[in-house]
Amino acid sequence: MNRKEALSSFIQQIHGRPVVVKLNSGVDYRGVLACLDGYMNIALEQTEEYVNGQLKNKFGDAFIRGNNVLYISTQKRRI
Amino acid sequence: MADEFENIPSITVKEPLDLVRLSLDERIYVKMRNDREIRGRLHAYDQHMNMILSDAEETITTIEIDEETYEEVYRTTKRNIPMMFVRGDGVILVSPPMRTS
Amino acid sequence: MSTMPVSSSTLLPLELVDKCIGSRIHIIMKNDKEMVGTLAGFDDFVNMLLEDVTEYESTPEGRRITKLDQILLNGNNITMLVPGGDMPE
Repeated sequence: MNRKEALSSFIQQIHGRPVVVKLNSGVDYRGVLACLDGYMNIALEQTEEYVNGQLKNKFGDAFIRGNNVLYISTQKRRI
Repeated sequence: MADEFENIPSITVKEPLDLVRLSLDERIYVKMRNDREIRGRLHAYDQHMNMILSDAEETITTIEIDEETYEEVYRTTKRNIPMMFVRGDGVILVSPPMRTS
Repeated sequence: MSTMPVSSSTLLPLELVDKCIGSRIHIIMKNDKEMVGTLAGFDDFVNMLLEDVTEYESTPEGRRITKLDQILLNGNNITMLVPGGDMPE
């Protein structure tokens, strides 16, 4: 299944990289992706929580429950 | 299988739930839906993120609109709960205590 | 499964999505968000890997646009997929 390979290689490749995790609520978490599972549960390191673009909180480590996740993004530029 | 080397007990985080496992018996921060936050000692959890917390402090944030100025006023209410069960589907984020860095 | 006489014109829904790989695709989410990006891959849950993404959110202050290089989009909140990457009206 070729279409799945792109996904799984992306998942392998983003470990240890800085990511932005956006939740359905609109809240953003920026941090280093420690790991990810099939439910899109995520462990982040050096996590910063942004609400409406404003830094609201910092966590050393954070577990994010996958059902809240809208997307995981690498390298972000904002217009 | 070469994988057997990996049986060495380690504190590495291989899957996200390991982060929660490492927080057992520690005070954690839980962000919930409905603008609730809980700080408490983690006694048990499962794969749904159902949790048992003790000595918990629940913080509820509400937004009220000032009738005259129409400003949004954030109000937090706190209460202490000696022992509680948290249903996993309401959980957004779990953070262990900051490790000394 | 019984062998159905599948005519060459019928296409499974996910096969249509498969045909979009490498092209622009427009995604409409449950919560009025929309995304446009190049489809790089997807899985059985229609979680999608997208590149050069533009995210459109409608907020009380108006539409907010965010550009993203590469995203793994959770399939859970997708309602519609439209081949072709036209801007949402």
